[in-house]
Amino acid sequence: MKLHQKGYLLVELSKAANLWDYQLINKALFEYGESDAYREKTLRIALDELAAAGLIKRIEEKLETKWGKAKLYFRYQLSDFGRTRMQDTGLLPTKNKE
Amino acid sequence: MANPVIKSQLLAQALHRHYSRNQRWGFMWALWTAILWGVWYVPSTALWFEHPYVDIPADQQTLRLAATAVMTWVHAITVFLFLLLWNLVLGKVKDYGRTMVRFRKISKWYALASLCGGPMAIFGSYMAMGFIGPVFAAVTSLFYPVIGAVIARLWYKEKISQRAAIGMAIIIFGGVVIYGPGLFGEMDITNNHAWLGYVGGIMSAIGWGTEGAVASRAMDVSDPDVGIHCRFTFEILFWGVLILPALSLFTDFPIGSLIIDTITHGKAMLWILLASACHAYCYTSFYKSFSLIGVGRGEAIGNLYAVFALIFIAAFTLQLPAWYFVVGLVLTVLGSFVMFSEPAESIANLREVDNPAGPTPGQMEGV
Repeated sequence: MKLHQKGYLLVELSKAANLWDYQLINKALFEYGESDAYREKTLRIALDELAAAGLIKRIEEKLETKWGKAKLYFRYQLSDFGRTRMQDTGLLPTKNKE
Repeated sequence: MANPVIKSQLLAQALHRHYSRNQRWGFMWALWTAILWGVWYVPSTALWFEHPYVDIPADQQTLRLAATAVMTWVHAITVFLFLLLWNLVLGKVKDYGRTMVRFRKISKWYALASLCGGPMAIFGSYMAMGFIGPVFAAVTSLFYPVIGAVIARLWYKEKISQRAAIGMAIIIFGGVVIYGPGLFGEMDITNNHAWLGYVGGIMSAIGWGTEGAVASRAMDVSDPDVGIHCRFTFEILFWGVLILPALSLFTDFPIGSLIIDTITHGKAMLWILLASACHAYCYTSFYKSFSLIGVGRGEAIGNLYAVFALIFIAAFTLQLPAWYFVVGLVLTVLGSFVMFSEPAESIANLREVDNPAGPTPGQMEGV
């Protein structure tokens, strides 16, 4: 069975030093075979919730204009708290500190 | 090419808009919680005036508690169905399954939340109502945000700013002003069973306060719409697999006939359906607000149910509340505005963990 979506976003972020939101969203849309704007919005809200809870942090932001509309993008990174929470909830294996 | 100063101003404005939008949504969900919680009192009170509940004499407290257990179970099942509909529309049913199966690490927290908010808080509230009175039960429940905020603060360092704490205190005080004067007519020092009511009052405040903090533990890594669905799945199981069979086996209460009478009696089921529609979306809003504005703020704004409950009851019974309701109303609204006046950026990060408040450009690392 696939991971639940918030869990998937966290796992993908844990594999990279950091990722832009659109990179994460594209990975998730592909993983779950989804494509519409509503799904994209749902994933953006999930990222906002993860950032508010302190599991991931925004390390950069940019404003880009697409089809005449300015859109805000964030680059995210997993926080130490997020890593601990992932281990608590079985999303990352617990390992000894290096 | 745009001037870098203008570019950075535009970016700052866009960021502020983004955080303000999240803050607004968080408070809006919390307000919906309060409204729907207030409406919920109308059908759930009306249910006590229908067969089989109307036939239970007021002095048979234990039978009333057993009937409450039956009522809560049937109610939880219908709430589950409304949540299923919600998640079908949102396309989150698969995610519900994916979250439920991770019991040992994730969904067990929803199970614990359902124990806190279900059997502990609801049962406690009914004990407070039965052994002291409904006003006492309402007043003790008003203190649950304090418990929730303290647990969230100690357990995972949720930030409670001075302004949020002041707002929370004003809202609770407003609630006490609304219900408090009624207490004088209700307290009876000669009542030997009053201690059971006090225990019940404490159980309800601790139960509802703890529920938010416990559920947030799982919501850190899962979706709130899915989370509330998991919570009610466990509540159905607690009542249906443990409590009701135990009551049926070890007591003489007519649990089986109460269940059959409830589901075969059209009017009782109509009130249960109306109550559970309110309750399902009230709880959905409740959980959604936690992930955007935190447990402390979400629960405090949710406390405005004290105001909405009286407004809706007055609208349906045409009995106007006492004059001090207006004072309580002003206080609760004032408290809400104090909380809402916090800068949106401070709510963008709810925990005092290793994150800086808000984004810090320039900390970028290469992918």
